Amino acid sequence: MGSPDEATGELTARRYLKDLAAGERRRLRLAVLAGTSAGLLTIGQLVLMASFISRLLVEGAALSTLTPLLAGLMVVLPLRALALYLQETLAQVASVRIRQRVRRSLLDHLAQLGPVRLTSRHSASLANQLVEQVEALDGYFARFQPQLHLALLVPLSILLPVLWLDWLAAIFLLISAPLIPLFMALVGMGAERLNREQFAAVARLSGHFIDRVRGITTLQLFGRTSQATREVHAAADDYRQRSMRTLRLAFLSSAVLEFFASVAIAVVAIYVGFGLLGYIAYGPADELTLFSGLLVLLLAPEFFQPLRSLSQHYHDRAAALGAAEGLVALLTETPDARRMTGGAVPATSHDVLVELEAASVEHLGRGRVLGPVDLSLAAGEVVAVTGPSGVGKSTLLQLLAGFVAPASGSIRVAEGLRLAWMDQRPLLIQGSLADNLLLAAPDATEAEMRRALGRAGLSELLAALPLGLETRLGERGVGLSGGQAQRLALARVFLSRASLVLLDEPTASLDAETQDDLIEALQVLADEGRALVIATHHPALMALAKRRLSLEPEATPREVSHDAPA
Amino acid sequence: MPRHDASLWHSLRPWLALLGERRRRLILGALLMGLTLVSAIGLLALSGWFITATAMAGLLLAMGISATLDVYVPGGGIRFFAVTRTVSRYLERLYNHDIVLRLLADLRSRLFSVLSGLDAHTLSRRRASDWLNRLTADIDILDSLYLRLLAPALVALLAILGLAGFLALWAPRAGLAIGALLLLGWLWLTLGQARLGMAASRRQVGDLEQLRGRLIEQLQGLAELEAYRSLADHRARLAEIEARLYRDQRRLGRRVALGNALASLVVGLGMLLSLWLAAEAWSAGLLSGPLTVMMPLAVLAISEALAPLPAAFTWLGATRGAAERLNALEAQQGETAPENAFVRLPAGALSVTLADVTLTHADALVPALVEVSLGLAAGERLALCGASGAGKSSLAGLLTRQLRPQGGEVRLGGVALAAWPESALTKRVALLTQQTDLFDDTLAANLRVGDPEAGESRLWRVLAMVELADWALALPRGLDTCVGEGGKRLSGGQSRRLALARLLLCEPDLVVLDEPFAGLDADTAGRLATRLDEWLADRTVIYLVHQLGEVVDPPGIDRCLTLRSGRLCTNGQDVSG
Repeated sequence: MGSPDEATGELTARRYLKDLAAGERRRLRLAVLAGTSAGLLTIGQLVLMASFISRLLVEGAALSTLTPLLAGLMVVLPLRALALYLQETLAQVASVRIRQRVRRSLLDHLAQLGPVRLTSRHSASLANQLVEQVEALDGYFARFQPQLHLALLVPLSILLPVLWLDWLAAIFLLISAPLIPLFMALVGMGAERLNREQFAAVARLSGHFIDRVRGITTLQLFGRTSQATREVHAAADDYRQRSMRTLRLAFLSSAVLEFFASVAIAVVAIYVGFGLLGYIAYGPADELTLFSGLLVLLLAPEFFQPLRSLSQHYHDRAAALGAAEGLVALLTETPDARRMTGGAVPATSHDVLVELEAASVEHLGRGRVLGPVDLSLAAGEVVAVTGPSGVGKSTLLQLLAGFVAPASGSIRVAEGLRLAWMDQRPLLIQGSLADNLLLAAPDATEAEMRRALGRAGLSELLAALPLGLETRLGERGVGLSGGQAQRLALARVFLSRASLVLLDEPTASLDAETQDDLIEALQVLADEGRALVIATHHPALMALAKRRLSLEPEATPREVSHDAPA
Repeated sequence: MPRHDASLWHSLRPWLALLGERRRRLILGALLMGLTLVSAIGLLALSGWFITATAMAGLLLAMGISATLDVYVPGGGIRFFAVTRTVSRYLERLYNHDIVLRLLADLRSRLFSVLSGLDAHTLSRRRASDWLNRLTADIDILDSLYLRLLAPALVALLAILGLAGFLALWAPRAGLAIGALLLLGWLWLTLGQARLGMAASRRQVGDLEQLRGRLIEQLQGLAELEAYRSLADHRARLAEIEARLYRDQRRLGRRVALGNALASLVVGLGMLLSLWLAAEAWSAGLLSGPLTVMMPLAVLAISEALAPLPAAFTWLGATRGAAERLNALEAQQGETAPENAFVRLPAGALSVTLADVTLTHADALVPALVEVSLGLAAGERLALCGASGAGKSSLAGLLTRQLRPQGGEVRLGGVALAAWPESALTKRVALLTQQTDLFDDTLAANLRVGDPEAGESRLWRVLAMVELADWALALPRGLDTCVGEGGKRLSGGQSRRLALARLLLCEPDLVVLDEPFAGLDADTAGRLATRLDEWLADRTVIYLVHQLGEVVDPPGIDRCLTLRSGRLCTNGQDVSG
């Protein structure tokens, strides 16, 4: 699973899909086995049918003597249905398990990459990858993979009895079968390019629609909605006209299959018919009977059926390959190895929480973004980190939190250090108010939660909520304002037992009242003996700090001024 | 489906009506589908008939009995069916795809016009890209209503009836029995399967949505989750949703597989039944040998009609869910404004009166505006200050009628806002929103949102007013330059100025400007203020600002008021001059 290609050291989309299939090899093989059994039972069904007809019509057997054949059919038919059922369900379970595994490995990978590496990506589109692209693998494993094998096995097992019945007919099937992939490849080569263009066109069209919906307020304001509605229709209609041109070629591949399946029946019927009449003097034709002729006729469409199914599932393969490419790109992004593991070692002195020694941070493609910095942070200390924007204030906090590992120098962390984190975009999860608080302390009691909300200045809000702590937040529930959300994050800090609180520009984008309350609350946190590290521009927040760490752009990173004016 | 039926019908009805507008094409498309099917049945049945006829003639010949058989008519028939099956399949796919794309255009424009009728607050909650993704997904699901559900089911039904009738021509009992069996099978494969899969398939989109929501939470909140070491707890929540999703998928998968197995069993049993009944008729001398063989073969060939039904109908719930969500959207449309031609609207700058206006958003705990009363004379310029969330945007929404108050009244030019015709309102009231919305189109097209009739010289003039003319002139494609999705190829300041230029193309009598100089440097803002002052002459103006005196104040403020938590503070200082 997700292991790099041994030969090239590179994980490709094809290779990835293959590895994934290997993880469910047993189920997928059983599905193929069931599908092959269904094919064999189909042959059995047709043999029984042909011999029933032949004995009835040619040998003039009484109906009562034919009941064993009917009984045989009564057995074969349900067995065949059962085999089909098993094929589908087995492959489906395999697909579900594979997708589950893929999502789990992606989530593990994202957790390893950590919050800093993820900031460069748009979370909605990343979430989309984790939902849609993983789901797009379904058809490939549930249908295409097994069918790929069946498209070889079933025609082969049909060819054998036909060969035995009439070798000329068998040769006809044998010749036409490879022609099909050939023709399809010819048609497909053109169609694939067109398909890609089609894909791009679909994306553009959706983009156009979404673009207009996004700006619909503006269109309303300018009174342009009816014009825009006409535009939306015109764009979709224009897309239709262009895509119909390309589809004319793309649908040829299904026409090719239809053609071969039809021609096979027609040719076999006419060949057998003329052979039975004795019009064909060469080959095995004079040995044809109603039984063998009818059986060859019935087997001919079954010979092509697996190929037709395969072509129906062909878009599953294209979808899965497209999705796999996106997933592989994500998986091949290597996490910072030192981040999760040996990045930090226990701090030396007992009351030191974190110690940085000449620590610097580098970002891929941006070079050094911080340091080297020396910092020793004792329990209960309040440090303001200041400096112009882009100087690495946030990076310093990320380093202290362990979201990034130092590129050089070292970080030592007190054993069992508990952290709290707060930035400008507090996390709000869908769920109750309590769920949102319990993030910070899963075993907090209701009384503790109420107290924490109170200290964060949310008592009034809590009192206004009829369902109290059980009020649902988020899309289907109550919407919190930016200030309220920030207070909720603060309540989490209060609730947590963190001895080190890292705050990244906590007052930015808040109104004056909330800002004042927040600063007051941070003072309370400091009074509780928690250490605070605050990246900020806000004078009142700087005043809160006993120490100020001023980061300067370029070269002079270690200017630590103690005893800043309180 | 006794209980579900009414509401299923109810949810799908508007969309079926939309399909009905293209009735003739749909019928032709279904006919082509039917022709393909008839050719397939005809090909196999005639081939079976032909082989048997030749075999029996061959036997007679071998016994020395003279027998004549016309081989050219059936031979020609076989070739004919082989060709029509191929050609009609090709045409059918092409034609039906064309229909699907036409329907897609219909659906999109219909949905768009529905969205145009939504109020600002509903829309602002729905701008998130995941919601838009779901919207387009829902449209695509509904798009398959004809091709995956209606047409195949109808064609299969007609094929069954036709086949039964055809068989009854030769053997009435066989025709009746086969018809009854296949009809039962059809009922199960459509209605029965739909019922089996309804609940689970209806839940799918919602569960996927929840999964996406949780994932976004986790990705956006990873810092907090990691700091609090609660990532594992959150992943457990995610796993729970995923488990539910996949439990349903497995259930649906089993039911689709059951349907497919049953479809093959029904066809097999039908074949068996027709074989037995035909054999009986043959034994009784009522049926010829070739016809005896033709019957079971014709039944076998109908499997092509039944095969697509189980998967499509087991997932009917997904279509229903999509229809329900889109219906809910339609239901949210506000009442359309009266196109009342008899309202006499005053000419020139508009006075503004708000009397005890109260506004509470649907999901909010506290009102956005509380008993706001405000009077503004025609031509006056008011600066309305307040922190974000104080209610400034809500007030702007009220004045443009994108929001409707729960209490109180808004009057423009002395006429109640509710009585204003829509066209007059959009023409005479202009709002520069805080968020800049640009379209993925050319500069010219973005400007012409303000006035579709504007000639190039006017476009250049307004660009010059916002100091974008030199920049645009230097672009290789000039006014035909694409601004990118949401204007992302422009800087924030450029986007802002382009939005302002777009507004300058209108001739409004009331102008509401939300942070007009946000994101502009002081020099540019200063020069812009001078030109804006000129343009704003003889119009009533409301500036929405965070705070005055920060960088460059908008020009010509007569009066200043402050909004605090949705309440108007009347002690705003006077800054006339």
